[in-house]
Amino acid sequence: MASELTVLFRRLRTWAMLLALAAIPILIAAAVKLTSRPATPGRGPLFLDRITQNGLFVAVTALVVSVPLFLPLTVGVVAGDTIAGEASLGTLRYLLLAPAGRVRLLLVKYTGAVVFCAAATATVTTAGALAGVALFPVGPVTLLSGDTIDVGESVVRSLLIAAYITVSLLGLSAIGLMISTFTDVPVGAMAATVVLSVVSQVLDNLPQLDWLHPWLFSHYWLGFADLLRQPISWTSFGDNALLQAGYIAVCGAVAYGKFSTKDVLS
Amino acid sequence: MRVWQRWLPAAVVPLALAAATLTASLQAGAAVTLPEKSAAEVLAMIGTSDVRALSGTLEQHSELGLPELPRTGPTAVPGAASVLELLTGSRTARVYLDGPDKARLQLMDQLAERDVVLNGRELWLYNSADNSAAHAKLPVTKLPGAPGSKPARPAMPTPEELAQHLLAAIDPGTEVTVGQPSRVAGRSAYHLVLDPRSSETLVDSVAIDVDSETGLPLGVELRARGQAEPAFKLAFTELSLAVSDAGLFSFVPPPGATVKELASPAKPAAPPMPGTKRADPAMPPLPELPGGPAAGGITVSGSGWDTVIGLPPGTAAPGTDPLLAQATQAVPGGRAVSTALATVLLLDDGRVYAGLVPLERLQSAAMTR
Repeated sequence: MASELTVLFRRLRTWAMLLALAAIPILIAAAVKLTSRPATPGRGPLFLDRITQNGLFVAVTALVVSVPLFLPLTVGVVAGDTIAGEASLGTLRYLLLAPAGRVRLLLVKYTGAVVFCAAATATVTTAGALAGVALFPVGPVTLLSGDTIDVGESVVRSLLIAAYITVSLLGLSAIGLMISTFTDVPVGAMAATVVLSVVSQVLDNLPQLDWLHPWLFSHYWLGFADLLRQPISWTSFGDNALLQAGYIAVCGAVAYGKFSTKDVLS
Repeated sequence: MRVWQRWLPAAVVPLALAAATLTASLQAGAAVTLPEKSAAEVLAMIGTSDVRALSGTLEQHSELGLPELPRTGPTAVPGAASVLELLTGSRTARVYLDGPDKARLQLMDQLAERDVVLNGRELWLYNSADNSAAHAKLPVTKLPGAPGSKPARPAMPTPEELAQHLLAAIDPGTEVTVGQPSRVAGRSAYHLVLDPRSSETLVDSVAIDVDSETGLPLGVELRARGQAEPAFKLAFTELSLAVSDAGLFSFVPPPGATVKELASPAKPAAPPMPGTKRADPAMPPLPELPGGPAAGGITVSGSGWDTVIGLPPGTAAPGTDPLLAQATQAVPGGRAVSTALATVLLLDDGRVYAGLVPLERLQSAAMTR
């Protein structure tokens, strides 16, 4: 397990992706700081207009921007690489020579992907908070309900949002792991995972398919806004967790079926 | 292990999940046994309901056959809170009530929220999409605590208000029955069904779920003829009768918000939300009692559910509002809005006819004049 994480975080690719994620809030903060024109309220990403008044909003804005594409993209790369990457490098054979067993290898690989999800959201949140504190004044935070909370509580809310998004990405990681067991070409698994996340979000926007919406793994992705209400609405957090658990169970079972019956030749 | 045994989990897990989902939904719809009550008794329960404080989540869904307004994308209207919006799609809101003069309604949009806060005579409207607030000082209301004197009518009516409005329309033209008790927001409820005796109206039935303990209406459902899904549905999904935190009702506009002072309304009416245009005239009217002598050129024909209201020339100018033009369809002599529940006919000479009836009846009413 520890060695898996070391391998994951020693890779140049992992660091490049985390750096790219960290660049999003920094870019947003710099762009808002450098333009003289004040942002029009109600235009652009959520809270963009409030950043100048309160730097703590940089993190939230960055998360809103990165949830639909950047986070699924990076998670898709990591999750799609789990099994197929080893297979294409020819190292899968040697991993299975150890008496650890295939189930354990799957679990370790999935845990690695989960840790990356947490690291990715934490990177965006932390970079956003740092950039905001560095460039803008910091003060009490206005919630969606119009109430204000102090800085300490806003940090707690930011962490809750990061946790929410991490949970949101667990289903996608499981899908990536499942696809990864079906192929020896890691790029294919990565692309399929990312495409699935985009397709799911497109379907979620078609009103004709509203019966399907509660079953899409991306349905609650933007539900973290409920954590910015007063009082906090926990419904979407619970629904989201339940849905992601369902995806983990189904995809995990399929991945087990495929991986345990697979002829590992490379 | 055989190969098929290793694939077993992949087959069993989805099946187990499907079974779990099914049982959960079956349990939600499971029959509830309650002591039998007549329709009059259930009506009385509503009348004597003395719930003063509650907090809950409301879900509303409309299926009127109108085109859905774009909520995302370039054509989306940011923070649009018009009445028109209530007529399509679904939305969720949270309500908090504490006595007659403290209320808060939170309309939860995706990544945004609109709030109506009432604390004594202070009424605040807040829209998070453009960070704007509006404030009004309400006139002193008579008899605080009397039912129906709630000074602010939030943008989304509570089941209580809707039920009272509909019950007022009960006349010999309506059959009132008590159906199978059901479970709403985790509470057992009587199911009061109002069935129009007339076959002319578009309304098939109106159902009200009444809490078996407190008599609080928990949900309202309007069904239209020839439509399987309810045309309009408003119900609690969560409800607690505990007193909410007092801090919820004291609203201070956040720093940086644009605050607009509204003139205090002469009579308690639904205040327009900040950043919205006037309410659309095409809003389907609730069932009206057969009125007395028509005032100001307003004609009323038919009675009960078949009532057709005619407004004099000059009321509407069809085709001026692009949104209206989009929602209406051209008919001989004017434009019409046909929904599952109500029809509005806008004639070219500015006359407007509306009713819970099919278009043909409106046209014949317009002819006979």
